[in-house]
Amino acid sequence: MSPHSCVKIRKEWDIVSARQLGREMAKKLGFSTVDQARIATAVSELARNIYLYAEEGQICFEVFETIERKGLRMGAFDTGPGITDISQVMQDGYTTSGGLGAGLPGVKRLMDEFDIQSEIGQGTQIKTVKWVR
Amino acid sequence: MNSKLIQIAIENSDTIVQMWLEKIDSLKVDKFSSSTSDELFENTNREFVNVIFTSIKQQGSLIEVVAFSEKIITLGWPLSYITDGLQMFRRVTIDFILSNSDQVDTSFFSELLTSVDRWVEPIIHQLINEYTGSWEHILSIQRIALQELSAPLIPVTDGITIMPLIGTIDTERAKLIMENLLEGAIKHNSEVVLIDITGVPVVDTMVAHHIIQAAEAVRLIGATCILVGIRPEIAQTIVNLGIDLTNLPTKSSLKKGFTSALEITNRKIVDLKPKEDGIEEMIKSLQGE
Amino acid sequence: MSIPILKLYNYLLISIQTEIDDKTAIQFQEDLLDKIHKTGATGVVIDLTSVEIIDSFIAKVLGDVITMSDLMGAKVVLTGIQPAVAITLIDLGIHMQKVATALDLEQGLIKLYQELGV
Repeated sequence: MSPHSCVKIRKEWDIVSARQLGREMAKKLGFSTVDQARIATAVSELARNIYLYAEEGQICFEVFETIERKGLRMGAFDTGPGITDISQVMQDGYTTSGGLGAGLPGVKRLMDEFDIQSEIGQGTQIKTVKWVR
Repeated sequence: MNSKLIQIAIENSDTIVQMWLEKIDSLKVDKFSSSTSDELFENTNREFVNVIFTSIKQQGSLIEVVAFSEKIITLGWPLSYITDGLQMFRRVTIDFILSNSDQVDTSFFSELLTSVDRWVEPIIHQLINEYTGSWEHILSIQRIALQELSAPLIPVTDGITIMPLIGTIDTERAKLIMENLLEGAIKHNSEVVLIDITGVPVVDTMVAHHIIQAAEAVRLIGATCILVGIRPEIAQTIVNLGIDLTNLPTKSSLKKGFTSALEITNRKIVDLKPKEDGIEEMIKSLQGE
Repeated sequence: MSIPILKLYNYLLISIQTEIDDKTAIQFQEDLLDKIHKTGATGVVIDLTSVEIIDSFIAKVLGDVITMSDLMGAKVVLTGIQPAVAITLIDLGIHMQKVATALDLEQGLIKLYQELGV
């Protein structure tokens, strides 16, 4: 397993390959089945956001270890239109695509750490971490 | 040089042992409760110092050290007894050899320190390893035992499973509870799962939130979750905190919860013999035959 | 790729065995509604035992298809949702409160039978 790998998101099917890679890495790192599903679901949400709103971007995974614990870092990067109001998209139930509006706030609950940065016209960066329990 | 020093130490072992025993006696006051008898303390000390000498004689063999450490660990004596004892041995031995040498220059002094270190260090190392090994072992066993206790699942009858919760619930444990609950419900093919919180001392918003989530998840996998064991003070806090449990069936006692679980699974408890019959029979038997 | 829909008397049975991508999900939604229309089925069991992941999109498609089937007079029961999937759905804040669920296909059929009769 390479400690760092990325999946480009251009087509709809890329969402599936991104979450398969996420699950595979989570499995190898020793995450429980539930946490594997959490990670795969979070990947799916972020990959879909890229596909729906930015059209092109990538999902990157990185295994990393500190003295106390190890974890999986997962980032979603795109060069799309950016998000105008971050606090709005972090609200449960907010959607512009007719979805459930569970995506981003859901990802925040699925992962242990969550950071989002976005600039209009520049793109959006979301960085998340899940720690091995 | 080293072998010469070993020889000196061994030849004078009686004196060194005597000096060491006098010093180690002072440890007894601080480290040990009065429950340790003087005799046991003395015998163990002698064995300890013998183990040290055997190791020196056998050029650092640690076989006896391992056996001795097991004994001390079983006795439950503190690690500091071992480390302090060995430090004292080091000091006594160095003192003795220095005071019995004619010419003491820096090179001799440094040789002496190195040699004595070489005798003592492996023993300290080994003993600490044995001690921490035993601690880690105990810790891991306790951790497993605690995990088993933290979210137990009891399949009481076909289709009904009970999870009795005792003690405080934190986020980590709540996650474990949820996972055990769901996996158990599927494993035992349970239509109804009862969560008994009689033994949970405090139900705050966080605990309630976790329980509600667990119940929702149970519903998603196709089973029903009933919360039982709600004591009056818990009911009060739940309402005062504004926690909404309306979507979750609740019952005050496990008994009531179990009855409604039976109803859900289309069953009921039937007395095999009506009570009145039993009394009549008893009266008859008393009157007649 | 399409998901097979089996007919059993008045019921339709679906077991989702593959990883669902968005297109398959939408396709399934159309196929199921078509089949309900053609057969006049009154009950539907969708078995999700082999499904390892349901994200918010798939959840929405499933929720929608259940509401739509209901409008067409067919009651849907979801069965075999895995613990990990249930937990991630809860984390996502998707509770599917109005959706009927059952532990497995058998229980799902019993549930439909109890509510609808044959």
